Amino acid sequence: MADLTQNLDKPVRNALTENHENERKLTILEKIYLPEIFKGLWYTLKQMFKPKVTMMYPEEKWDPPAIFRGRPVLVEDNGKERCVACGLCARACPPLAISMQAEETEDEKERYPAFFEINMLRCIYCGFCEEVCPEEAIVMSKDYDLVYHSRAEAIYGKDKLLVDKEDLKERLDFLKEYKNRQFGQFWKFRQDNNIHSVRDRDEEWDTGLSLVDLLESKKETD
Amino acid sequence: MIEIVQKGKSRPEMVINMGPQHPSTHGVLRLEVTLDGELVTHVRPHIGYLHRCFEKYGESVGDYGMVTPFTDRMDYVSAMNQEHGYVIAMERLLDIEVPERVEYIRVIMAELQRIASHLLAVGTFGLDLGAFTPFLYVFTEREKILDIFEKSSGARLLYNYMCIGGLMRDVDDDFKKDTEEFVRTFRPKITELQNLLTYNSIFIKRTAHIGVLPPKVALNYAASGPVLRGSGVKWDLRKNNPYSIYDRFDFDIPVGEGEVGTLGDCWDRYIVRVLEMEESCKIIEQALEAMPDEGDVQQNVPKRVRTKPGEIYARTETPRGELGYYIISDTSAKPYRIKARAPSFVNLSLLPAISRGSLMSDLVAIVGSIDIVLGEVDR
Repeated sequence: MADLTQNLDKPVRNALTENHENERKLTILEKIYLPEIFKGLWYTLKQMFKPKVTMMYPEEKWDPPAIFRGRPVLVEDNGKERCVACGLCARACPPLAISMQAEETEDEKERYPAFFEINMLRCIYCGFCEEVCPEEAIVMSKDYDLVYHSRAEAIYGKDKLLVDKEDLKERLDFLKEYKNRQFGQFWKFRQDNNIHSVRDRDEEWDTGLSLVDLLESKKETD
Repeated sequence: MIEIVQKGKSRPEMVINMGPQHPSTHGVLRLEVTLDGELVTHVRPHIGYLHRCFEKYGESVGDYGMVTPFTDRMDYVSAMNQEHGYVIAMERLLDIEVPERVEYIRVIMAELQRIASHLLAVGTFGLDLGAFTPFLYVFTEREKILDIFEKSSGARLLYNYMCIGGLMRDVDDDFKKDTEEFVRTFRPKITELQNLLTYNSIFIKRTAHIGVLPPKVALNYAASGPVLRGSGVKWDLRKNNPYSIYDRFDFDIPVGEGEVGTLGDCWDRYIVRVLEMEESCKIIEQALEAMPDEGDVQQNVPKRVRTKPGEIYARTETPRGELGYYIISDTSAKPYRIKARAPSFVNLSLLPAISRGSLMSDLVAIVGSIDIVLGEVDR
């Protein structure tokens, strides 16, 4: 075995050490490398007749499954955001990408975000914001190819974040089912977490409608 | 940048910068190479181009659970193993018993990730030496593993799947079927890889007798993982210091034997990775058989992590070697200190010792064979 101290002090010209008694001599067939080249070519030729695994990306878009965590978006419900600006997502965000300012509104929801920004340069798509949201107002969408021309452009405001709930149906359905599986029941956000925000509560809570939906339907019946 | 240094009356030495944009440094590594003709007399790795303050972030970010996504980003080609190490450390600190099903899922995920990581390692190693064909086919296989991960965790590279005390969510319904199918179809592919690359005489000529790391030197430098095992030292934490449920499985630890060259050369480090994929397949098969079908994966997840003042060091075997997390806790919600012992960093420190006296073109093979991930080196 080579002596370590000597090895470090001055370079040895030959990297060989004497520890190669196990070495097996290559056979003639292995030494001539032509068979190896033909083996590689033959393998490639065989692959030509197998199904393709690639896709023509920009022309042919990949549709991710519902579980996929793309860019976070705010759910738009009847033209308004579901968000009540509680700030939990900003609190849970590991890279501190979310910022918001709450404002009061005449609406029965009482609070809404005056501005809501996600710095997409900081976002790491971990999904914690969606995990903690009591209103199912921020969810991960399927968008995965984001392009910005400047840093300022990468800070997404409400104009870019709001997506209609019909477009997010797949993800919202998935969340309902997955939360069912985790907690044994559908987590009744409006009952469990948001009682404070509703002035006159009635038995309509089990309809499965979101807060904004519920208020809209109430207006219609009134 | 080329600089010729005149040292006394001896022959001029040349200083060349290899990297940080050199494709075969596997990331942003800069090597300051001193050459005597074509022989390497000294290599000095310059690191830090990918430094993201993991340790400082761990101390200042909200709470213990919010560190997990950042552990993913340390070694981004084996994110599951990094998470596994962190959650094991936290569970030992908090004395949390993890449900049986969670342990099995974690082990299966970690072993799948080991296969994916080794596939990438041997694929790019071949690519460095001019073998382009195997690279594309190992990526096809790796893609299948990423598909399995995506179905369960929702991401393809940085999963954020494990959490302290359990998993973020249960696995996909098809998980068992998919994994069995993958292992079944993957076994013949290892043989194919062996036929294409392992005994190719060009490949052997480029790797045998190159970058020889004697076992004693490997131990002195605290090397771990395939780099250590390639030198013939049988040391694997999964066997020698079993964590999680690894003591229940029957598998071997492949070590380098110097089959076509010197013990501890680049070829030995390569073959250890190839053989380890087979062993991982064995573990996955056994785990799938023993895995309980039902069970809540979140039943032992603490609602809020409350720590007492204390400290913990937990080490796990990642595809690159021994990953250790040293966590000091106090009564606050944030960790007082997180230190990560990254195997790539330690293995990279070997580079000057083993590349001395080799040719410039062999340096590429040596860097490829120690399989570093710069995300983990710099943290």
